[in-house]
Amino acid sequence: MALDMSMFERFAVTFQKGDIIFCEYEPGDTFYLIQSGRVQIVKIMDDIEKTIDYLNPGEIFGEMAILDAAPRSASAIAADAVKALEFNRENFEVLMMGNPQIALKLLKLLAKRIYDQKRRFMILTLDDVQAKIADVFLMLDEAAPVRGDEVARQRSFSTTVDDIAHWAGMSPEKCREVLNHFASQRRVEIYPDRIVVQNINDFARFVTSRRGQQKE
Amino acid sequence: MSPKAANYKANSIVYFKGDINERIYVLKSGKVVLKYNDIETGQELQDVIQTGEFFGVKSSLGKYPREETAVVLQDSAMVTFSVPEFEQVAMANTRIIVKMLKVFSTQLRRIHKQVSNLISTGEQVNPETGLYSIGEYYMKCRKYNQALYAFRRYLTYYPSGRHASEAAESIQVAERYTQSERAAPAATGGLGPRVAVSAGPAAPPPPKTPSQGKEMSDDAKCYYNAVSLFSQQKYNEALEEFKTIVNSGADREYGIKSLFEIGRCFHSLEDYDNCIKHFTTMIQKYPKHPELVDSLFYLGVCNEKKGDEKKAESFYKKILSMSSEDMPVHRKARKALRNLTGS
Repeated sequence: MALDMSMFERFAVTFQKGDIIFCEYEPGDTFYLIQSGRVQIVKIMDDIEKTIDYLNPGEIFGEMAILDAAPRSASAIAADAVKALEFNRENFEVLMMGNPQIALKLLKLLAKRIYDQKRRFMILTLDDVQAKIADVFLMLDEAAPVRGDEVARQRSFSTTVDDIAHWAGMSPEKCREVLNHFASQRRVEIYPDRIVVQNINDFARFVTSRRGQQKE
Repeated sequence: MSPKAANYKANSIVYFKGDINERIYVLKSGKVVLKYNDIETGQELQDVIQTGEFFGVKSSLGKYPREETAVVLQDSAMVTFSVPEFEQVAMANTRIIVKMLKVFSTQLRRIHKQVSNLISTGEQVNPETGLYSIGEYYMKCRKYNQALYAFRRYLTYYPSGRHASEAAESIQVAERYTQSERAAPAATGGLGPRVAVSAGPAAPPPPKTPSQGKEMSDDAKCYYNAVSLFSQQKYNEALEEFKTIVNSGADREYGIKSLFEIGRCFHSLEDYDNCIKHFTTMIQKYPKHPELVDSLFYLGVCNEKKGDEKKAESFYKKILSMSSEDMPVHRKARKALRNLTGS
């Protein structure tokens, strides 16, 4: 079907550098495809504005808004002058039908999000707090696999206690307590910008056994 | 490589749960079921694949292990695709993608809800309080524009919320800062907020009404509907819709946008006389219309179609003189002019 591409220009929005595109906790009903400029994704945690990601032209953000108008989980700020296509429930199908490349990109993103959520669900259904946190590290390992020694594999993750707490669905205090316990057992080392797991396979065995016990 | 036909005997397995394999299948004939365990109950479930249906898509596109085992119940014929082959097929038939998008978003909504249920206890901040606290944070960091955004949004969504009066007050304060920053950017640099306050205007500006909600107006809905009709090449229907918006005149923004689209409809309907008439009137009435240059291009094209090459040429030249080289309309005009004059 021949579609008039110039039509999509009508859905373009522009932002000045520093503008908030959307704000954490705001109900979301739009999502965006960056056409030019970069977008900074930030979250305020413990009174610090933390950059989660920088996104480049061609990338989609805010896509969880195609779910019900759930609160935004992070803020999007224009890091440069930004031009983006704005999608909403009304124009969604028109834009997708006319732009298979964007539709395909979104499809891949959703496939990944579904998996991420399922993986998070698996973490959250563990009863044992230590197992939960160990499983978060396994998830991070799966997301960026590095082949190594099958017996003892040390892995370093550029993550923070707050991130781990988020994935494990517990308070940062509780998470820190468990991590400190792991640290005292020399299973992890905690640095301001990264956490080193001494033996990820040890964590894998631990989680598998706890999951097994739960089923019995 | 190209898509391959594959035949499977009854009781064979196309792939196992946990397999890492990026092939995507479409069932041509026979019977295949996907077996998996419900993540909540662990109960074994199965989905029957319909003839013509794709399967194995999600794990292939998301690049993760198979989540289900695909079992062949009756001798089956399928076609298998690599991810790039699938993309090629899907790109040529966007309906496939849009259909899958709907399925995926339903699945995502479901799992998202399941996850939320598990973390609902004590972990989640109430969005109202959360939004207000974002404003407070930016206020504290003296990022007044960001603070203004958050507080205005707060008042949009929670006009009589718990923090409404505080948010309104903060907006006034933040507005004073942003105004004084604009008025004397050098003076406020490095100075504490108190100093900046006294530098601001004596009387605080009246609280602004919160910026309009994101609720779509009826005009916007009509407009998008008309745009949708246009992109489906239903020009007559789109034209009627755009006319309705202009005639209702309720919302200037969409009225003005629609004026331009009416001209485009005439052009697509090859009604060049009406197109010229429409754009000429529009430009006279709105000499600063945001789509002025594009309108001139349509005037050029219509005149060219009608055989008035001289007029067409003057429109194209006008566009070249008033647009920058990186604008698509500039390139289009240059190309049209080249075709016209043969130079």
